[in-house]
Amino acid sequence: MATLTRQDLNFGQVVADILCEFLEVAIHLILYVREIYPSGIFEKRKKYNVPVQMACHPELNQYIQDTLHCVKPLIEKNEAEKVVLVIMDKEHHPVERFVFEISQPPLLSISSETLLSHVEQLLRAMILKISVCDAVLDNNPPGCTFTLLVHTREAATRNMEKVQVIKDFPWIVADEQEVHMEEAKLIPLKTMTSDILKYDQRLSVLLADAKDDVDESEEGQPSAMSDV
Amino acid sequence: MDDLYLDNIDEFVNDQNKIVTYKWLSLTLGVHVNTAKQMLYHYLQQKRNESSGTPLHATYLVSGKCVENGSTCHKVSVVREDKLDAVKAKMDVTISVHVYSVQRAELKDSSPLYNTDYDAVKENLKNCNKYSAIRCAAAVPMSSAELQRAQEMSSVPPVEKEISKPGFNDKTSATSKPSAKQPAGIMGMFASKNASKSQESSKEVKTEQKEDSSLVETSKSKTTSKVNPMSNFFGKSAQKKADEKPNKSIKEEMDGSSTASATASMKPSQTSPKSEINIKEEQSKVSNALKVESKDTRNKTKRPEVVDSDDEKMESQQKKRRRIKKPRPDSSDDEVVPDSPPVPNVHTPSPKKQVKREQVSHQEESSEVKRRKRRRVLKSNTFVDEDGSFVTEKGYVSESYSESEEEPEPNSQAKDSSSLKQSFEKRKEEKKEKSQKKTSTANKPTKQPSIMGFFQKK
Repeated sequence: MATLTRQDLNFGQVVADILCEFLEVAIHLILYVREIYPSGIFEKRKKYNVPVQMACHPELNQYIQDTLHCVKPLIEKNEAEKVVLVIMDKEHHPVERFVFEISQPPLLSISSETLLSHVEQLLRAMILKISVCDAVLDNNPPGCTFTLLVHTREAATRNMEKVQVIKDFPWIVADEQEVHMEEAKLIPLKTMTSDILKYDQRLSVLLADAKDDVDESEEGQPSAMSDV
Repeated sequence: MDDLYLDNIDEFVNDQNKIVTYKWLSLTLGVHVNTAKQMLYHYLQQKRNESSGTPLHATYLVSGKCVENGSTCHKVSVVREDKLDAVKAKMDVTISVHVYSVQRAELKDSSPLYNTDYDAVKENLKNCNKYSAIRCAAAVPMSSAELQRAQEMSSVPPVEKEISKPGFNDKTSATSKPSAKQPAGIMGMFASKNASKSQESSKEVKTEQKEDSSLVETSKSKTTSKVNPMSNFFGKSAQKKADEKPNKSIKEEMDGSSTASATASMKPSQTSPKSEINIKEEQSKVSNALKVESKDTRNKTKRPEVVDSDDEKMESQQKKRRRIKKPRPDSSDDEVVPDSPPVPNVHTPSPKKQVKREQVSHQEESSEVKRRKRRRVLKSNTFVDEDGSFVTEKGYVSESYSESEEEPEPNSQAKDSSSLKQSFEKRKEEKKEKSQKKTSTANKPTKQPSIMGFFQKK
């Protein structure tokens, strides 16, 4: 059993790594698809054996990486409830939100190598879903910006502040204005559960909240999401 | 056929918000690709006539002859509907147009198209060409021994690529190694650009030479005299059909030289009875004849004619598929970026990038005087050096940036000497200011000259 516990530790890190990698790709893709930045700064790269668009701008990449670097320990400890990419208009009112819910399933199962390719497949499907989310979302007004929020369980942030992971990258409590979105409509995009991720987390529903009325409901079962 | 398929497609497109490509449809419904194309077309017609409900977008595959850079070439491209007429007008002769995919969302680039087909093909890897329009009886999976041998041979670096660029003129240069052809062959087989076609066609020649060197040599002398009889034999109007025959032989030879695909041309070359050699000789003669002729009329088009019916995409090997899809979408009109070498995997780019940039920036710090010169060097370095981690395919972008401003912005992370930052500065001033404030104070003691230079130039 000693080996199992050591493996447990590694799996937790492995899963957090997988999730953070995926989140990075997904965030870049959302920025591309929703035209937050001009498409010229993106270049095609390969992830999970399919082409994806990643930004070239060093600062943008740095920002995203720093964010995820701070989020990773939260995921490992299962303290991160969801990671939200909020798209805001010029007045900093949220227009769209892309929510990545991460939840821990109750049962544990041993994962194996073959499941990794299964995970790849599921993540590919997620990426595909992001690419076509245009169909269900209206166009954003010009001049939008984005921000990343992390919703944590309980008092995780207090611990985080004590141990600043990256000194030059401070986190602040999000403004209520940024978090709360009026007339939000919930559009589930993709649910994914996987055995390997079941071990530690389940990268659940990727939801999109749109401000305008878009009445679409698709497959995928959203777990209970309260409008924070 | 009954109209049930229309409901199926409707469900896929509207309810599930999927991208329905003809290939995916044929694999899902178990129909021939041409049937799938027609299904999509009918569906599109029906929906357009109804003119109600959600708008649909479609992409088309257009192939035809056009003149580019003074040479005629056969171009195959996937285009969005709004660009369809423009692309068709640019072509001299439009050989085929058919629906490639139908979806609700307006796609910004071609990656989702590839993504859609990827899993479908992966599941049916063994028989993904069951419904395809390409047929090659000699294409059978390689045995494991042959596979191993092919893999060993493919480990030889491809020198061939540059040699084969000149094209037909290399017929007589049989200096290239057969193994080196294989990577070039894979690339050349599925790109629809001119250069790669010349690669593959010359590679074909070399393959023939490798296999039937003596025969081809003699046949070549005969080809010139036989050009006319050959063309008469096939007839001008039936040239396309004739092309398909040498296409098959070319394909055999091509396939034989590629590692990923399993074909029989290696086999025949090793164990061929005399009759087969004769047939191949004739086929190679024909192909040579047509090549000579095509050199006069149009360039290197036999391969793409096969491409025309979307067959190359239906090759049963996944490795090739990946290469196909990579260059092909790049040829569509909405992609400005030129074809790039196969893109390596995305690792977390920052660590490696940082290391490289830091090394580079150290160099830069050392000599301020030569800054301008060194910048050029840096550019090319990053292009090449980062081959392992990521390829900046937009070479032109980085150049323009270096012209606009000299000094890289000091950053806490990587003393990024890349001048990409300069132009982005205008767009992202807020973030820059923040980081500048942070980093300028931190770096002042160590990087004073560069910072001063930055502000001066500003």
